[in-house]
Amino acid sequence: MVQSAKPVPPTWCPGCGDFGVLAAVKRAAADLKIPTHELVLVGGIGCSGSIHNFLEINGIHALHGRLLAQAVGVKLANPSLTVVAAGGDGDGYAIGMGHFMHAFKKNASILYLVMNNETYGLTKGQASPTSQIGFEGNVEPPFHSILTALSIPAPNFIARTFSGDPKGMTAILGEALRFNREGRGFAFIEDLSPCVTYNDTYKLWREKVLDVSKLPGYDPTDRKTMFRLCLETTEQGRIPIGVMHRPKEPGHDGLEVKLVGDRPGPVRTDIGLAANLPAYEKLLSGLS
Amino acid sequence: MVTAEAQARPIPSEAGPGEARPPLELADLSVMIGGQGGDGTLTVSDLLGRYFRKRGLYVYTSRNVLSRIRGGHADASVRSSRDPIAAVKAQVDVLVAFDNEAIEMGKAELAPHGFVLYDSTTFHVDLSNSVGFPFATLVGGPLGQPIFKNTAAYGALSVLLGFDPTMTRAVIEERFRRRGGEALEKNLKALEIGRKAALDAPGVANRYSVADGDAHDLILTTGNQAVALGFVVGGGRFFAGYPITPATEIMEYLQRYLPAFDGVVRQAEDELAAINMVIGASYAGARVMTSTSGPGLSLMTEGIGHAGAAEVPVVVADCQRVGPSTGQPTRHEQSDLSHLANLGHGEFPRFILAPATPEDAFSLTVDALNLAEKWRVPVILLLDQALCQNTTTSHRFDLASVRVDRGKRLSPEATARLQQYKVYEFSEDGVSAVAPPGTPGVWSEVTGNEHDEWGHVSVNPSNRVRQMKKRMEKMVKARDELPPARFYGPPQAKIGFIGFGNTAGPILESMRALEMKGVATRFLEARTLYPVPVHEIDPFLKDVDVAYVVEHNYTGQFARLLRETMPWHHAKLRSILKYDGYTFRAPQILAEVKEAA
Repeated sequence: MVQSAKPVPPTWCPGCGDFGVLAAVKRAAADLKIPTHELVLVGGIGCSGSIHNFLEINGIHALHGRLLAQAVGVKLANPSLTVVAAGGDGDGYAIGMGHFMHAFKKNASILYLVMNNETYGLTKGQASPTSQIGFEGNVEPPFHSILTALSIPAPNFIARTFSGDPKGMTAILGEALRFNREGRGFAFIEDLSPCVTYNDTYKLWREKVLDVSKLPGYDPTDRKTMFRLCLETTEQGRIPIGVMHRPKEPGHDGLEVKLVGDRPGPVRTDIGLAANLPAYEKLLSGLS
Repeated sequence: MVTAEAQARPIPSEAGPGEARPPLELADLSVMIGGQGGDGTLTVSDLLGRYFRKRGLYVYTSRNVLSRIRGGHADASVRSSRDPIAAVKAQVDVLVAFDNEAIEMGKAELAPHGFVLYDSTTFHVDLSNSVGFPFATLVGGPLGQPIFKNTAAYGALSVLLGFDPTMTRAVIEERFRRRGGEALEKNLKALEIGRKAALDAPGVANRYSVADGDAHDLILTTGNQAVALGFVVGGGRFFAGYPITPATEIMEYLQRYLPAFDGVVRQAEDELAAINMVIGASYAGARVMTSTSGPGLSLMTEGIGHAGAAEVPVVVADCQRVGPSTGQPTRHEQSDLSHLANLGHGEFPRFILAPATPEDAFSLTVDALNLAEKWRVPVILLLDQALCQNTTTSHRFDLASVRVDRGKRLSPEATARLQQYKVYEFSEDGVSAVAPPGTPGVWSEVTGNEHDEWGHVSVNPSNRVRQMKKRMEKMVKARDELPPARFYGPPQAKIGFIGFGNTAGPILESMRALEMKGVATRFLEARTLYPVPVHEIDPFLKDVDVAYVVEHNYTGQFARLLRETMPWHHAKLRSILKYDGYTFRAPQILAEVKEAA
């Protein structure tokens, strides 16, 4: 057995919600029997983005906000890899917002895991795009990732979990990874992951979370219904969690087309001259 | 001033239009075509280029367009010669005008023996050496649309220049065959309308003649096309980009070429995404490239820094245009060099390669891919608008010289034999052997943070120093593998030129003109700009009394780099600069060479 990099002990504060995510990722990967060498985790910048350091895994520590672009690049170059992008709410919804929106459109079969703590923890507690009005002088309304995700008509898997509910979270994470590994498209999970140091919301969120699957009329294949359910529960002061969109089988819904065909295998590595000479000669002979 | 191009016999001044006289043979011909955007000036330029190619002539075409699709003045020029050319001719022999602005712009450059052919549908030209035909009206009736006026003008031009009618027609067939029946048929009709008009007018037919050349095994291509082909043949299989003038064609060519090789081309949401997608794909094991121009390069700077710190190989083709900011999107400049040499915050190694011709762009793209993977550094392919978009005759790209070298890439078998797999392992040459993710039994972490050999974040000061040296010393250790400069002119010459990219063509033309005056000069065409090839340029500067550094920017960016790295040559370096958005014409360089006055 070749010795590869060993995980380092987590640098997170004791009690950080990200520990729940770490445990769930480990569990889901084990349940799905994904070999370590086929798992790639692209981490963002911020506390949550260092998650790959604490796992036995292939990893890229990406630039702030750019993890999705790198993760899509990894997946398109080698679709046989299982690719997870993981970062925080500042990373994804502030500096990375452009890439966030386009990841749904691109629909590469990767999982994007946002650990939302409604603050910038690593820089000591500034307001983030998801902060409530009044938090650290914030005057802007919080960004609602789920409503935004639901507004993009692409066959993505969309869910929200809560670190205070590790069982529910592990189940949804496993489903998302299966969705990816079947090549069905992009999966997005926002995990509510409290920052115990700068924005300890465990108690508050435990009271406010509401599992949408328990609501009458719940139908994650119906975008309209789910948008209404999520909007209504939010307006009632609750935080909807659960699977918000689960595409029907391809072809069942006009919108659920496969936007970006994942390729069946890795980008070819037989790129030497000899293997391609006749094709190259043909290509160049087209010039006159 | 006697220049190589002024070889045409002058027309006797008493010979006005209408008088029978022998055609004036133009061994070095320049045709300028101007009109409103949408008038089809570029098509006329393309048709002429194809015709001259068929006659075995060297061709150089350039274009001057605005950053808009319809309207606004646009012009193109086509030069053909029996000798190799890589620059715009200083004088215009024939001016084809679809609007009055073309006359206003082209008049000053018109040679004494020159002639103006214009579309008299909407304006009139009051010049003795001109003839107007209402092309738009002539084609509008029989063909239903005035848009074929450009093909009619090509027809009239073919008569004026004494073209072979069969070959003139063959060019139209070749150009429009792919568009199919009606387009081809109408263009052929427009051609005949234009030809007939010119044949019926007195003093137009065979006013000039263009001698055949013997350059037959050449291709007509642009730098952008050459880069795209070099990428495919060099083993490139993943490209992500964002549309930007004048780089977009690289992406468009690759969208055509790469799928046949199971490659991936993606248009990203912005340049930030493009460079980062490329980094991800490179990490995953693909050979990668992105291309952009100044404004996109500014955005990519962040990602290139990440690639530099994380030692992920990337190639970035920078098609320079006029800066700063959005500058002049369609115009020519070489003003990104200082930025690229100092690119990014912090310090990391990078190689900057600069081809001068499409042929060299093809081979340097292959070199860039090899160097990036072999040394695991970002490699910049520095191009300029004229090289990227001007069409030039070129030798066929040489497949036999192509070599794909992926450096210390670990195969699964080699990986299995390792005791430990450290993605940033220290080594003699500073390059660590890397196995892409998916290689059984191993995994790795790459990061833009300072890291130890395992890829773990590290703030250890001695590790920091070792990792910095590991990366930075690549610029010294790779020296002998970087593309060497090219030298022209007699070694004993005491006047030197130094240049890169598109300036090579005008410099070589200037050298020929100086030689005719008995002034010997030498030229060092730099192909690696950074790290500055001191080992090549220092001996060159020792041998000459003065060296003119010719470049398209305000501050003399390459000259400044040379002064910084070789301060002992400070007094010998003089700059010849141009930053008006146009390429050098040889006389503009000659005027600056004081020793030749």
